[in-house]
This record gives sequence, structure tokens and C-alpha cells, in this order.
Amino acid sequence: MQSLKSFWIRKKISKFLSHTFLIFVIFNVNIAKSFSDDLRMGESTIQQMIIEAQKHAIDTIKLEPNERSLKIELLIKKYINLDFMSKATTGTFWKKSSEKQREMYKTALLKQIVLTIEEHLNTLANLSYKPTKSEKRGEKLIYVKGLIQDPNKKKPDVNLLWKLAANKNGSVLILDLEIEGISLVSSQKAEALSILRKNRGNFDILLNKMTKDK
Amino acid sequence: MTKKYKFLFVKLITALFILNGCSNSTKFASENKDPFEKINRNVFQFNKYVDQEIISPVSKTYVKKIPAKIRTGVSNHLQWMDTPSTIINSALQTDMENTMLASAKFLLNGLTLGFYDLDKGETVIKKRDFGSTLAWLNVSEGPFLMVPFIGPKTTRDFTGTIIDKQNMATLSTNSLDDLNLAEIPINIIDKRGKMSKTIDNIYLSADPYIKIRSFYLQNRRNEIYSEKYIENKNNNLDAEFEKFLD
Repeated sequence: MQSLKSFWIRKKISKFLSHTFLIFVIFNVNIAKSFSDDLRMGESTIQQMIIEAQKHAIDTIKLEPNERSLKIELLIKKYINLDFMSKATTGTFWKKSSEKQREMYKTALLKQIVLTIEEHLNTLANLSYKPTKSEKRGEKLIYVKGLIQDPNKKKPDVNLLWKLAANKNGSVLILDLEIEGISLVSSQKAEALSILRKNRGNFDILLNKMTKDK
Repeated sequence: MTKKYKFLFVKLITALFILNGCSNSTKFASENKDPFEKINRNVFQFNKYVDQEIISPVSKTYVKKIPAKIRTGVSNHLQWMDTPSTIINSALQTDMENTMLASAKFLLNGLTLGFYDLDKGETVIKKRDFGSTLAWLNVSEGPFLMVPFIGPKTTRDFTGTIIDKQNMATLSTNSLDDLNLAEIPINIIDKRGKMSKTIDNIYLSADPYIKIRSFYLQNRRNEIYSEKYIENKNNNLDAEFEKFLD
């Protein structure tokens, strides 16, 4: 009787342990899978964008400057999280701005990003991109690191770091780009906050300065 | 100023900065450490005027008229002339690998006086100057400066530049003034030619002074600080980003 009882207890314990182990394995595999899925999505977003940008650089070379900018704008819009960038570059002042000011700021910011990309677009066509490392940071962020290389080795390598995150629809979008340690969001933030602080948070003055002579 | 006094002056500045480093624990200064902003903005306006009236037209003509091969040669030569500074400062920072690589590259390219890169960019050396040595010695960054004709610097890096030039003058047979007369204008025109679009775009931004300060500080810190600093910076930015993603 005693041996039957201990056998039954042992059986229960082993069943409990095997279930716990199974849950643990499934849970960890799922986490690892979602981590690697996110990383893969991040990497493929960047790869796809680079391919499209290189194609754009060649296809749009003969277009009028305005027409070319418009095409680049459409391409960039597809890959960046403009809402996030606008919030991150204006900090607490974003909440105090009106809907109209927010829309105007987004348009001006996009124009500035287009200007920066255009500056390097022609050279990008002759260079190659090599992904080097990607990592998941915290709960939402993905870092994708890469190098822009000159196949003829006439120009030094350029280090790039893309910071991405999935949006509500599940598509992975770019939050920031660092070129040789210079962050697009940080420099825009320094500029916008300096103007806003000097002008007591007046968003219109910032917008005027951003759209002057353009 | 005689050579003896110049050396004394450089020694005095070095001592001051080392003492500053010993007393200051805030190695990573914030981007807004700009107590001389008003003066800096005036100097920036002056530099911008000089750039738009003289340097930019000259560099555009230089890029247009001089063949790319010659420009690359000049650029290589200027980099080669800076290599002794990298050798000395890498040794001071106990980075022996960089010291050896830089020395080997300097000797090899010395066969062409640095005009032609004989190892075709295969050897990648990290550029080191006295500003980075001072950072390695934990000397604080100090306030941001906009230096006439030279451009953005931190107080530490400006001191480093003076010491580097002084060292080069001591090593070479020419005087410091002779070296600067030849090297600085060519260097400025060469760099302006390479960064033409970037600088023109900075002038178009809402506040070009802040943009240039931000670009310079981010790039410089990324260049001279350790992996630990970069990781720390990224962690802070990640926390900020996650907040905005909510």
C-alpha cells in the first residue's frame, strides 16, 4: 500500500516537472523566435531600403531636382517613423503644439531628411552596403549596424547604425540613423530645442526658421 | 615668441588641463556646455563669412580645375604629414598596435612623400591627436569653442591641436609658422572640397551654429571615447526612445 502511494506521488511529481520543463522550453523558444524574427525583419527592411535607394540614385539622375526630391521623399516616407521622429526631436514641446503646427513640423522635418539623403545619394550608387551586426535592445528597439564601402578602396568605410522598431501595424520602421556616430535625431533635437527654449516654446518661430529660403 | 617661451606656454597649458582632469569627475560633458555661446556665435558668423566669400569659391575652383588624381595625392600627403602625431599619441595612449601600424604605413608611404598610398587603404589606422590623449588621461572636455578660421573645437581639443602643431614643429626642421603657412590653407581647402555639400546643407538649417556644434561634439566623442561611453550613450537614448514609442 505504502509503495503504491509513493509510486503515485513520484508519478505526479515527474508529470509536473515534465510539464514545467515543456512550458519553459516552449516559452523560451517563442521568445528566441520572436527576437530573431524581429532582427530578421529589421535587417531585411534596411537591405530593401538600400537596394531601392541605389536604384533611385540611378533612375532619377536625369530628373529635374524638384521631381527627384519628390521621388526620394516618397521612398523615405515608406521606411521612417516620422511621428516618432517629430516627437523625439521636440520633446515636451510637442504636447503643447497644435495639430496644424505638428503637420507643418513633420513636413519640414521630412524635407530636411530628404536634403541629407540627397547629399549622399549620387555617391551611394557606386558604393556597396555590408551589414555587420544586429541586436535587439530592450523591449522594442532593434539596432542594425552596417558599413558603406568603396569597392575601389579610394574612400574610407562609413559606419552606419540604424535604430528601428515595429509600429502598431507590425511593420518595422526606422527611428534614427547614426552616420559615424552622428545621430540624425540628436542633432535635429539639439537644434529644435535650442530655438524653442529661446523663444519660450513658440512653435511658429521654429517652423519659420525651418522653412526659410527653401 | 622665442622657442623657449613657446615650449613653456605649451607646458603650462598641459599642466593646467591635467590638473583640471584630476579635479573634474564629469568626463562626459553635456552637449549644452557652451558658456561662451554669444562670442562663439559671433565667431561662427565671421567664419561663415570667410567661408562663403573666400574658402568655398577657392575650394570649388580647386575641385573643378584640379584633376581628381592630383587632389587625391594632395589629400594623401596631408594625411601622411599628420601620421607622426598619430604615432606619438597612440604610443602615449599605450595603443601599441596602432603605433606599429601607423609607423609602418608612415615609412612605406614615405617613399612617395605620402602622395601615393602604397598599401591602397588596406591598413586602417585610428587617427590619434593630443586632444584624444588628454581625453585618455581623463581630462574633461571643457567648454565648446568656435575658433576663428579653424572652426568648432572643445577647449581640450584646441589645446591638443596647439600641442600637436608644436610637436610637429619641434620634429621638423621648419619653424611652426612656416609649417602653418603651407599646411593649414591647403588642408582647409581640401577638407572644404570634400565636405562641400554637407557644409552648404548646414547653412540651410534652422540654426546652423547649433547644428555644427552638435555634429562636431557627437563625431568627436564617438571618435575618441571608449566602447563603454558609446554603450552608455546608447542606453540613455534607448530609454528616451522607448518613452516616445509608448
